[in-house]
Amino acid sequence: MAASSREHVLSLYRMLLKESKKFPSYNYRTYALRRVRDAFRENRTVGDPKAVEELMNKARDSLAVIQRQVCIGQMFEIQKTIMEPEEKKSD
Amino acid sequence: MASRALAHCMRSVARASARLNHGNMLTRSACAPLASNQRALSAVSRGQRTRWTDLVRISGPSLHLCRRYGDLPPLTLENIQDRVMYVLKLYDKINPEKLQTSSHFMKDLGLDSLDQVEIIMAMEDEFGFEIPDAEAEKLMTPKEIVQYIADKKDVYE
Repeated sequence: MAASSREHVLSLYRMLLKESKKFPSYNYRTYALRRVRDAFRENRTVGDPKAVEELMNKARDSLAVIQRQVCIGQMFEIQKTIMEPEEKKSD
Repeated sequence: MASRALAHCMRSVARASARLNHGNMLTRSACAPLASNQRALSAVSRGQRTRWTDLVRISGPSLHLCRRYGDLPPLTLENIQDRVMYVLKLYDKINPEKLQTSSHFMKDLGLDSLDQVEIIMAMEDEFGFEIPDAEAEKLMTPKEIVQYIADKKDVYE
């Protein structure tokens, strides 16, 4: 993998995680974090530049989806789960 | 009248948390090494702070919750190192027994670049500031992280 592409992948990973952390709802947040981690790990061995490019496009689309959904989620008050104060502290 | 009631309320909160603090310190120091003492303190003060902001919020709904760092214990190199090591020990892919301040994340601990990104993000959360990508990828040992944070926070001793 070219060095610049590697950097791009890592920064995309970072942005996805950062954006996923902003979900107000516990369920969406943990799902998004888990899904992002799993997806990147699943494809860590992909070497073909074309496949990498395709996956990165998919990641960019997902990033846009996450950003939009976080935005929408913040517009509505949601009920916090009972364990969330604990969660916040340990984060 | 209202202000007196509020003052009384705050005083009792402070007293309660002082008591809590004391008990917490005792139990923590009994079962944990030195590092977590500081944490117990800061965790309690954080809890207390949220309660305070709750109080404030009752009187002014336009105020937002925000983090304040003024009352945390002062940063020293030792202190930073303890916090860095604490965060690393909690990371599930690191074996706490193998972890040393000089161990390389990839060579010694068997992590990959994705894990390293997550570690750096955990450090950002712990210390409350952003580490840019270009510098984040150079931080490969706990020692380097400590040094970097100390530089950024102007800590020299």
